[in-house]
Amino acid sequence: MSDQIKVDKVLDTSGKCCPMPMVETNKTLKKLAGGDVLQIIATDPGTQVDIPSWCERTGNQLLASNEQENLFTYYVKKA
Amino acid sequence: MKKLAIVIRDDEYDKILTPLAFAYLEASEGAEVEILFVNWAVRALTEEGAKQLKVGGNHADKDAWVRERVTNAGLPNDINTLLKAIKEVGNVRFYACSLAANIFEVGEDNLIPEAEGIVGASWFLNEHMVSADHHQYF
Repeated sequence: MSDQIKVDKVLDTSGKCCPMPMVETNKTLKKLAGGDVLQIIATDPGTQVDIPSWCERTGNQLLASNEQENLFTYYVKKA
Repeated sequence: MKKLAIVIRDDEYDKILTPLAFAYLEASEGAEVEILFVNWAVRALTEEGAKQLKVGGNHADKDAWVRERVTNAGLPNDINTLLKAIKEVGNVRFYACSLAANIFEVGEDNLIPEAEGIVGASWFLNEHMVSADHHQYF
């Protein structure tokens, strides 16, 4: 499914840990327009709960996510 | 969360990281974050004091190791730079408790520019703690 998502911006937080993936996600999303899709790449396992709950709280839409060999990828559509 | 109020007392390097990380998170999400530095932690609001913060207690010999791990995690490994980074995110305000400032020799002349100033605890408790959605003490 994620293959079909048009990505407007990629944020790679690989190697970084909380709070930086969320801080950088918030900073990056602020620069995008409504409807834009941000692909977030992370290695911090905390993002598995942080990003879905952040989406619910902020109204941004988690379009898809996947994990491959401890690499987490999220596709978030800005509200 | 619209407003987070934090009181920081512990000034050991590793212990001050947690409240600052929480502040960084919430500020990046758009919350107002108000932080009162009390006791020894007030010295973190001076350049010299921030430089002197060390890992303490049972882990005192791990200071360099902790800083390296903090860098690897993507954070600045010195407190002064971290305070600047948090301040740049948005609605974050750092205050020095007037009692702590008096005892631990912090004045308006040596406060970092990112600090709002020296304030009374009564003002902070009534203006910020009461109206915050959440309080934290470290």
